[in-house]
Amino acid sequence: MFFNSLAFAIFLPIVFFLYWFVFNKNKSSQNALLIVASYYFYSCWDWRFLFLLVFSTFLDYFTGIQIEKSDSDKKRKFWFWLSVLVNLGFLGIFKYYNFFASSFAEMFTSFGFKVSPFLLNVILPVGISFYTFHGLSYVIDIYYKRIKAEYNFIDYSLFVSYFPLLVAGPIERATHLLPELKVKREFNLEKAKEGVYQIVWGLVKKVVIADTCAVYANAIFDHYTSMNSFSLILGAIYFAFQIYGDFSGYSDIALGVSKLFGLDLLRNFNYPYFSRDIAEFWRRWHISLSSWFRDYLYIPLGGSKGGLWMKIRNTFIIFIVSGFWHGANWTYIVWGFINAVYFLPLLLSNSNRNNLDSFVLKWNLDSVKTLFSILITFLLTCIAWVFFRARTISDAILYLKRIVTDKNFGFQYLDNERYNYELLLMIGLFVLVEWNNRNKVEPISGKRSMLKMALAIMAIIALGTYSDYKEFIYFQF
Amino acid sequence: MKKFLLYIIGIFLVVLLVAVILDGLYTYVFMQSKNRGKIEAVVNSQEKKYDVVILGSSRANNHFVSQMFEDKGLKTFNYGMSGGHLFEASLMLKLMIERKYEIKNVILEADLNLSNDQESEGVAAKFLPYIHSSKVIKEHFLPEDNFKELYYIPFYRYIKFDSKIGFREVYKIAKDEKTNALDNLGFYPLEKHKNGNMKNNIVNLNPLPHNKYYEEIKNLCKKNKINFIAVMTPMCENVVGMNYFDKVKKAYPEIHNYENAVIENKYFSSCGHMTSEGAKLFTAKIIEDFFNASKPQKLD
Repeated sequence: MFFNSLAFAIFLPIVFFLYWFVFNKNKSSQNALLIVASYYFYSCWDWRFLFLLVFSTFLDYFTGIQIEKSDSDKKRKFWFWLSVLVNLGFLGIFKYYNFFASSFAEMFTSFGFKVSPFLLNVILPVGISFYTFHGLSYVIDIYYKRIKAEYNFIDYSLFVSYFPLLVAGPIERATHLLPELKVKREFNLEKAKEGVYQIVWGLVKKVVIADTCAVYANAIFDHYTSMNSFSLILGAIYFAFQIYGDFSGYSDIALGVSKLFGLDLLRNFNYPYFSRDIAEFWRRWHISLSSWFRDYLYIPLGGSKGGLWMKIRNTFIIFIVSGFWHGANWTYIVWGFINAVYFLPLLLSNSNRNNLDSFVLKWNLDSVKTLFSILITFLLTCIAWVFFRARTISDAILYLKRIVTDKNFGFQYLDNERYNYELLLMIGLFVLVEWNNRNKVEPISGKRSMLKMALAIMAIIALGTYSDYKEFIYFQF
Repeated sequence: MKKFLLYIIGIFLVVLLVAVILDGLYTYVFMQSKNRGKIEAVVNSQEKKYDVVILGSSRANNHFVSQMFEDKGLKTFNYGMSGGHLFEASLMLKLMIERKYEIKNVILEADLNLSNDQESEGVAAKFLPYIHSSKVIKEHFLPEDNFKELYYIPFYRYIKFDSKIGFREVYKIAKDEKTNALDNLGFYPLEKHKNGNMKNNIVNLNPLPHNKYYEEIKNLCKKNKINFIAVMTPMCENVVGMNYFDKVKKAYPEIHNYENAVIENKYFSSCGHMTSEGAKLFTAKIIEDFFNASKPQKLD
């Protein structure tokens, strides 16, 4: 059940109605309804993996309590590691086993030993990376005594499987979401309206920007050997906007839907393509994942404390693991590695926290420098996205090489009977709208919101792509 | 909550209003389209006279050289459509009759397309802008499963088939951007392809015993006193399952079998589609067999 599907358009009002008119007596009935709705939502993807979700929920619920109740460090460690290993074990089996098995086989083959790896014929349970990280953060926080264990199974289950964030995040923290689930939600008109604005803007990003860019990006990436330099540059830009529109659009819808139920989720995107350096980009892109890795991997590894080599090592670890989290493919690892390389000069020069403030453009040299920094950051991001999108590392390298060697910057007719430049105006308009509203969560709220809403609806209806592309990219992660 | 529900109702009304306005606007633009494709050209045309009208799929579109008929003094247009099924061929003929075309002969490519009587979504979509303005189109789509959505929900058809009749197409019509669909009197010549697929397996293909739309075309021709010529067109040498054409002949004895009229691979761009050279050989044979001097079919 996609957020941009008819099924969801029917599902959401039904749950909304039941939530506020039937199950509105207390927080328990509200949570119980959301649990049922969430499990139904998940089973629409694949009901067979529901048991995995329930098992993961129960495991973390149980081990969390055991960690808190344990009277010795040994026991605490036992329950902690049981949860961590089982959670990562599931993730490893379903997501990474085949990758490691075939990679080792290839390595042995390159040394002259012929190995036929045993591969699993399993599909990746949707959302496993997201709900596993929900559970892990909860258990880690209990282990380090940052939070108390949750004894109400319904409340905890909802924290893990709440449907707007179940399949593609944002990755919530128990410290943030659980307290919201412990109180009865009262309807708030302004919050609900904000939710509607965010849902509509999320749909604009998804069906108008991402899905349309996907049509062009796919045509260019899938036939890159016959594309000219201009098409290849555009292909990388189109993909940059595809993945941004797709994932931030999903997050906007998830946050908007939650507001309809009186719940606030963590913000996941903050106009990342207006970042002035890569460090700022990572503070604005997939914020819930970046902060998860920062808090549960980077800091425990020592963070930026310690010597120079420690800093470099930790930076590379966090970016490579973050790349690998996206999928079992070397392209994601290289993508993470490239971002670490981008980040390194900032870290070494202690300027990774230079651009924390917001900026206002004026007619002066500083503003030109700011715009130039934004463009350079976007360019670097696009180069990294080529590795993210390409099927193999060599495809990505050849793609980038061809941009430089082809030297033909003319218009080109693509295989799908479209000209390579056709989307530039639309992307330009989108960037302009986002730029003018970069200090808000979305551009619809504020003055003349109904007119802006009508324009957004018109864009969704008239400019959206419906027949060619529908899926959200991050569902595969 | 009451205020919010009113707000949501307001949004729904905005959605509805936008959909109605866009539907009217898109439909209006499509009504002006005359040089983008064969369907628009027929829908937005008035009465015409033809000696020969060619209908069918790409195997009609790429195989019948209209100019060769014209050279014989026969006013001809090739309305074959790439990807089209008999569903669309039948509707095209109905539209021509609705617009009072005077047609002497219809040549229908009837071979592989006899195996189904479904619509070809990509081609059929191009009729949909006119579903409210043409009774013939409305009635033709009436038995289809999604007729109600397409007919009653404003703008739904433009969303569902956005790659065919969406914003991009509307923009191109508004810009008066021409396609090559109407060039060469509708015939689309193919060239020899180095990597053309010269294999085809049609073992699992079976002609329907009574293809609804084939029968419809046949009956329309009979009713309107149009000479109906149904032909099977050539395939390359390496087809597996060539007895398909025998099955067609058995089920529809009136269809003329020209599957072997041209067989050498050098005349094919891909296994089911001849090059323009092959098309010329094939068309010459059709003209010889059906439009020679002893059998005059020309309009007065």
